[in-house]
Amino acid sequence: MGNMKIKAKEKDGVVSAKVMAKHPMMTYDQAKKKGKEANFITHITGKVGDKVVYEASTSQFLSKNPLFKFKFKGAKKGDELTMSYTDLSGATVTESKKIK
Amino acid sequence: MNRRKFLGLGLAAVALAPVAINAIDFRKEKPDAWTAKTIDDAIKALYGDVKPIESDKIKIKNPKVASNGGAVPVGIKSDIDAKSVALFQEVNPESAVAVWTVPEGGIIDYSTKIKMKASGTLTVVVEGKDGKLYKKTTDKMEVALGGCEG
Repeated sequence: MGNMKIKAKEKDGVVSAKVMAKHPMMTYDQAKKKGKEANFITHITGKVGDKVVYEASTSQFLSKNPLFKFKFKGAKKGDELTMSYTDLSGATVTESKKIK
Repeated sequence: MNRRKFLGLGLAAVALAPVAINAIDFRKEKPDAWTAKTIDDAIKALYGDVKPIESDKIKIKNPKVASNGGAVPVGIKSDIDAKSVALFQEVNPESAVAVWTVPEGGIIDYSTKIKMKASGTLTVVVEGKDGKLYKKTTDKMEVALGGCEG
């Protein structure tokens, strides 16, 4: 199903993260034209350990290969940021990356 | 004219009890919000019958002219102590684009890329921890190429 590119950097206690999820984000309109099933990311979370640091419920109107940029506190260099998304078909993709 | 009169039943507004837990999937919790055709309906479905207050504490970053409606960069910033942030637009078939749950210690500084079918405005609603809703609408954004057809 594709994967995610994650970049996370800590500075002065604030982590800036940039996540690009590879996903076609097929809207209902597009799917109709192409004769395919609509499919898009519906929910994405970011975790450090057990702590949720990012969470979004999303619709079909995010761009193709959507980009998620966000900031959070409470993590340090070397911690692992785990991003996980679920799409309309039910597929879940999880990727982790160490915070730099 | 022998028309029946229907009395509009005033439905008691059910106070939404906000659940103070993380990991709320707004698509499962509030399915109506994602099929609402207008921003007002979507806000109502998501947060109940609360009138949002216009606020300057919300900053929305978006291009004045988006050359490609398939990927319009949008940034949202706010220092409101919030529970959730929702992004809507007025031109696509449905209004809701995304709803963020603000985790404990979270900073409202979100960027993403969205699709816009035509020129229009974006609206961001921030649900404060004080139970109030704050709203900000952008100026109309020009979209050169609609992004929903592909």
